[in-house]
Amino acid sequence: MIRKHTRRAAKAAFAVSLGVAIVLGLGAGAARPSPRMGPAIVIGTKNFPEEYILGELYAQALKAKGFTVTNKGSLGSTELIQTALTSGKINFYPEYTGVIVQDVFGRKFSGPTARATYEKARSLEASKGFTLLAPTPFSDTDVVAVTNATAKRYGLRSIGDLKKVGAYAFAGFPECQTRNTCLVGYESVYGIGRPTFVPLASISAYTLLDQGKVLAADVFSTDPPLAKPSKYTVLADPKHVTGFQNVAPVVKTSVVRAAGPTFTRTVDTVSAKLTLAAMIAMNKAVEVDKQSPAAVAHAFLQANGLL
Amino acid sequence: MGALRVVFDSADAGTFLAGFGFVVHHAGFLAHKAVEQLELSGAALGVGAAAALPLGVALGHLHRGANVAIAASILGRALPSILLIAVFLTVLGVGFLDNMCALAVLATGPMLTNAHDAVDGVEREVVEAARGMGMSRLQVLARVELPLAAPLLFTGIRVAAVTVVATAPIAAIAGGGGLGDVIVNQASYRLQGVLGACYCVMALSAGVWLALLGLQRALTPRPLRSRRVLGAGDERRELT
Amino acid sequence: MSAAGPVIPSFGRGSACVTGDHAFCWGWVRDHWGDTLEPHLVQHVELTLVAVSAGFAIAFSLALLAHRLPAIEHPIAIAAALVYTVPSLVAFQILVAFSGLSNATVEIPLTGYSLVILYPNVVAGLRAAPAEVLEAARAMGLRRRQILWRVELPLAVPAIIGGLRVAVVSTVAIGTVASLVGDRGLGYPILYALRLPTPFRTEIYAAGALVVVLALGFDLVLVGARRALVRWAR
Repeated sequence: MIRKHTRRAAKAAFAVSLGVAIVLGLGAGAARPSPRMGPAIVIGTKNFPEEYILGELYAQALKAKGFTVTNKGSLGSTELIQTALTSGKINFYPEYTGVIVQDVFGRKFSGPTARATYEKARSLEASKGFTLLAPTPFSDTDVVAVTNATAKRYGLRSIGDLKKVGAYAFAGFPECQTRNTCLVGYESVYGIGRPTFVPLASISAYTLLDQGKVLAADVFSTDPPLAKPSKYTVLADPKHVTGFQNVAPVVKTSVVRAAGPTFTRTVDTVSAKLTLAAMIAMNKAVEVDKQSPAAVAHAFLQANGLL
Repeated sequence: MGALRVVFDSADAGTFLAGFGFVVHHAGFLAHKAVEQLELSGAALGVGAAAALPLGVALGHLHRGANVAIAASILGRALPSILLIAVFLTVLGVGFLDNMCALAVLATGPMLTNAHDAVDGVEREVVEAARGMGMSRLQVLARVELPLAAPLLFTGIRVAAVTVVATAPIAAIAGGGGLGDVIVNQASYRLQGVLGACYCVMALSAGVWLALLGLQRALTPRPLRSRRVLGAGDERRELT
Repeated sequence: MSAAGPVIPSFGRGSACVTGDHAFCWGWVRDHWGDTLEPHLVQHVELTLVAVSAGFAIAFSLALLAHRLPAIEHPIAIAAALVYTVPSLVAFQILVAFSGLSNATVEIPLTGYSLVILYPNVVAGLRAAPAEVLEAARAMGLRRRQILWRVELPLAVPAIIGGLRVAVVSTVAIGTVASLVGDRGLGYPILYALRLPTPFRTEIYAAGALVVVLALGFDLVLVGARRALVRWAR
């Protein structure tokens, strides 16, 4: 005989599953901490280790000073994180000065010096209601790397020397092909022979260099594999084609005002400590020693008395 | 209403239309990528077929291994493509081979299951009648079972083909090339580029489906054409 | 402002296993279970439960509707088939254009795929009641709604659970693709490890193993549930 239990159980199961779905689905995104000191700071980062570390550094330092901070973590590329910023989903994220000028605001060239690039970025952001806080000492620009063996074989010391190689494969992210700070600049300013471009998606350029799939690759100056002593040679860029890419936090101006001078001071103090050596060391800890970005940020802040 | 705004704040009809614009502007580039994707998919399908079809047909003929067929279809559904691609990459290094193997594994599931079910499901009386007429086992297989099993078997191949073509974009994370190169590189191509490539992937999948369906119809002997055996294969299609 | 450079602490060298890129480092798994593997596992479970629950709720409602009005069953089936033709990566990217990088972007396609798997199963299950039993029930004077709840639904349980098993296992697998549009779920550690200068095998294998175990775990739970429910129905 069919029991009443089954009917009730079926109704209950249905109701529960619907309830679970609704609660989890809507509730998951909506948690809002009550402000303790100043406005709620919502941090986002781009989707690579250096940005995760930066996000953690700022988030932990601010929390230690009593601010209410949510670190939303990796939000994706420049385009997506900008959407999140302008739509109000986040109000703080670490960006690169050259990227602000050339990608976010579409200017053709950034500036002749690091300072000029920063000032230009700051005024552009200010016009949109965002404040650019102080820049870091380190700059993370594109660089061209080859293996040491390749450098020795062709006598490569600066980017222009690639002309000597003739035909070869060159790896980089797809946008490198259209950027003045990348392939377009290398070709027009130095002349680099006849490269076949190999676009990167997820696999690291270093893997391709190691496996001999490409001869040269466009990588970044704070990558851990480039720390001395390195298996790779970075080719010199005497004319600064790659521009300047110091990190500076982009924060909604109203939030900066509401948070007060302690906020700005805390963030700037952290930024000031981020030299090239420090950033490479932290990147290495995450990418090579496989530590978590949060732990690495914590250790750095503690060692420097910022927690 | 606030909740809906939070969910759909990026909704922009413009971006979707811009995706079509991207396709038009970069037709040659996308066509090149599509060919790349078909090459990878074709190779994977070929390898998968070479492994799955003989095994499935043999098992079905012997009326054994129903569990193997079921397991194959369950595994096909449960194995995430990302995991397969990552594992093969660590074993085989970056390149065409590792992506092809990962996709081939995904292709074997539907083909093995359908090959087995198709041959296994041929009516016993027909087989017995053929044996009674003095045909050897091999002749029965070749002249009776296979032709009758063909529709379901082909459906398995068709399902596997579309699965592979639709999953191949994910292989871009391991240098697999194809339209996936654009889809996973939103930083470079922006949302409209990604959407444009997405439209192309869907068109490509549909095209492959229709092309194979046409081929199947053309190859089926006339008397069997009225048999519509579409149901079983379709439900097992994988998406990962 | 500080004049001296920063203090750069030693962050603890990775074990020889990790830096030497050995096949699998248990030490790393132990150390990073809490900060990497477990959070993503929890996210993945949540992802799956929300999608399958929502998909089930919608599929169930649609199936009940189709049971009453057979005319709409076919159109719904066609719509479902159309959803199924969209590859998962494509679906996620299209949703990104709609809802940015939120939970909705991930949950909507996953719910759609679950729904598409569950709907035919629920419909088939509702049809499982043999004609004689329905006749007998009508003869006993039971009304339509009572027949539904007391006869048809209990008999539909095996088909429904069968559908749930397929839906859950599929969702666990497709959920890994979601990590391509955001840091959510077990696909993310795999992708992250793949992108490092040297792909980090331990993380890939560990996260992968968790995905497989999760799928199997859900499947076992559902098999157990079916046994319990079928026993109740007797």
